[in-house]
Amino acid sequence: MRPIAPIILKLALALLLLVPVGGCGFKDIDKRFFVVGTGIDLSGNEEKPYRLTIQLAIPSPKIEPGTSKFQYETIDAISIAEGLRMLKAYVDKELDFGHCRIFIIGESLARKNITSVLDWMVRRRDIQLVANMAIGKPDAASVLKIKPISEQYPGNALLLSFGADGTESSYNYAESLSGFSRRLTEKGLDPALAIVKGDKNKGYIINEIALMDKQKIKLVLSPDEAQMFNQLASRFTKSSMHGIYRHDGIVVAINQLHSRFRIENQDAQHLIKVNIRMKTVIEESSSSLMEKDLKPVEAKLEKSYEAEATKLLAKIQKANVDPLGFGLRYLAMNPGEGSWDNWQRIYPDASFKVNVRLIIEGTGLIW
Amino acid sequence: MIERIKLLFAEAVDVKTALLSNGEASIEIAYLSSLCKEDKINNCIMVPFTKAEIPFSRHLETNPEYEQVEDPAKWQDMLLRGYVLIQSHSIIYSFLASDVISSDGSLTQVESAIQGPQLALSEDLNKSLNLIRSMYPSPELCVEQYTVGYESRTPLYILFDQRHVDSMVLDNVRSKLTSINADIVHAAGELEKLLVGKRLHLFPTVLITERPDRISRSIGKGKVVVLIKGSMFALILPATFFEFMHAIEDNYEAFWMTRFLIFLRFASIVLTITLPALYIAVVSYNPELFRVQLAFSIAASRSAVPYPSFIEVFIMLFMIETLIEASIRLPRYIGSTATTVGGLILGQAAQQAGLVSSIMIIVTSVVAISNFVIPINSMSFAIRFLKYPLIGAAIFFGLSGIAVGVFLYIVYLCNLRSFGKPYFRLHGKLNPAEGDIGGADIK
Repeated sequence: MRPIAPIILKLALALLLLVPVGGCGFKDIDKRFFVVGTGIDLSGNEEKPYRLTIQLAIPSPKIEPGTSKFQYETIDAISIAEGLRMLKAYVDKELDFGHCRIFIIGESLARKNITSVLDWMVRRRDIQLVANMAIGKPDAASVLKIKPISEQYPGNALLLSFGADGTESSYNYAESLSGFSRRLTEKGLDPALAIVKGDKNKGYIINEIALMDKQKIKLVLSPDEAQMFNQLASRFTKSSMHGIYRHDGIVVAINQLHSRFRIENQDAQHLIKVNIRMKTVIEESSSSLMEKDLKPVEAKLEKSYEAEATKLLAKIQKANVDPLGFGLRYLAMNPGEGSWDNWQRIYPDASFKVNVRLIIEGTGLIW
Repeated sequence: MIERIKLLFAEAVDVKTALLSNGEASIEIAYLSSLCKEDKINNCIMVPFTKAEIPFSRHLETNPEYEQVEDPAKWQDMLLRGYVLIQSHSIIYSFLASDVISSDGSLTQVESAIQGPQLALSEDLNKSLNLIRSMYPSPELCVEQYTVGYESRTPLYILFDQRHVDSMVLDNVRSKLTSINADIVHAAGELEKLLVGKRLHLFPTVLITERPDRISRSIGKGKVVVLIKGSMFALILPATFFEFMHAIEDNYEAFWMTRFLIFLRFASIVLTITLPALYIAVVSYNPELFRVQLAFSIAASRSAVPYPSFIEVFIMLFMIETLIEASIRLPRYIGSTATTVGGLILGQAAQQAGLVSSIMIIVTSVVAISNFVIPINSMSFAIRFLKYPLIGAAIFFGLSGIAVGVFLYIVYLCNLRSFGKPYFRLHGKLNPAEGDIGGADIK
């Protein structure tokens, strides 16, 4: 019979080694205050430039539309981390960012410099890298304070607008914290964020996209441009497209879209070729197209799409941002020193050629 | 004839041969005592032969129950079906004296199968041997007799197929049986402890069963079976962990459903071991693991609970364990009352009184129910204990504690040996001639 004591001692020692890896301390779920939304604005005060707004969920066992309860805390501070420490003095439970899936940056701050904000987010252990980022217009606090009537539990409405669980809008550009921080540091791939506006305090409108360089907003895309940008960036959700054929308005629903690009060097003139293939179904048409040759319709729609896409690409190029990652592709294809400097010379003068292959698969169910 | 039969059969205590002589003539008889009714043999062979009122050879010729056997190749088969072979004047006669246990045997109670043999082993060694012999009619079956216990002198049989058995295991079992140092041995579980010899073990390394079909399958795979007098249960050894998770019905039912059931069993032991610990770790250390809705509803239902999560877990587990224990000990008629009172009323009331959260009720019932999915009772008991060390680890170290705890369990399982054979090995499909482990020394 083996003595038991050494075995138990060994086990206890092995378990003791675990103490340092335990991570956060023992704190019951009901003693935590879950932050469901964080907003960061500029306060306008020179000494305490940041205004931190957090939305705290008050858990309730009933989950019904409109019953979500929350509490807001706002503080001005020199830095976000210090502000948060101060905020702990304002609440009765431990703040927990583990369920904070939305971080909203005020527009004024986003137009100035966001690097220090992002630094804080990436460093903190309890902030999840899958959290969504967005820009609040006119500021983050006002967006957070909207109480949508349909909201079932705290923070749900905004989360559903961004994630794939809820609405799938072709105007929205959902960016996670990890993706955003990658784009902030990657050469040749610039970040972009969706802009959230309040809709008369009842809901949110998310249909604009802000393109940024490594620090601040450079260009804001209108809803139409935002949708096209999403298509070009292969962040495709089902969308529709408007065109005119023989003076009749026609709308097709895009069911499938693939976009890829290639950078070509022709006589020292760089050409960025974008190929787009899409499969569509006619959704609206004032004249019947059934059993007719759809080739001319396709050609017409292709042409108009090509023109618009080229215009958008040129606009992005003019703002000197690169959210589609042309630069990253160039660096990958042309490794070596000085490649990045070369690209910075090339990009402003490069020309675009968009090539669209549009297939109309059907004319809808009946017509 | 007797020499020939002794050659045909493996050494077994129930192969009975005799040379009888009554002064006028002499006959040789052979039969398997476990398969035959001894009184029938007495009445129809022994008595007429010894009385010798008419010459026994006339007897053999006139009575149609004695049939002449011409082909010696049939001997083996006939003996295994319960015939008595009689040699008189170098003519072989057969006589059917088989004792078929069918309706008078006891039914399975612990390991029941819906569609499968319903008979369980008997507390009488010969009846058990009869059942096994009739399910495994092979001349290669060896039966050896031992006794254990200085006071109880409990007879044991060890059974194995001499073609398939692993000699190392067999020697191990034999030497352990002869060296058992105990006064009284009554139950199979007791014998298991004496055979294994370790005082502290988390998992059963010997399979205890009451099903003759499981036993005959195991013998075919080269395992050793120990029958003990006075117990309806037999020991099968060596065993692997995966055999404990295998209900005998898995061999009888549709393929995909039984695969799914096996998966279900493994999923449920993972649940029953880790769920209480996970509850503590997730609720108190890493609530971000939940989806938001769940986190909020748990937080809300826990807000009435005054104690930390682990006290809650202990309260509920204490309740459920006492309930299970009570319903085993109580007479069958009161047993159902205990479960109703405990399960329905206590659980509901505890939650309404704010003693535990509603999620904890679900956790407790999942733990209890999934524990009963394990087909072998001794394993189910062993698994029931495993959650407690993990709870301890979860209280102090959270999720990482559980991960390390589960890892330790797996390491321990890999380290275990059942009679020299690795306990945690997967049973691959081996050549049936070599058996599951009998071929272990064939490289």
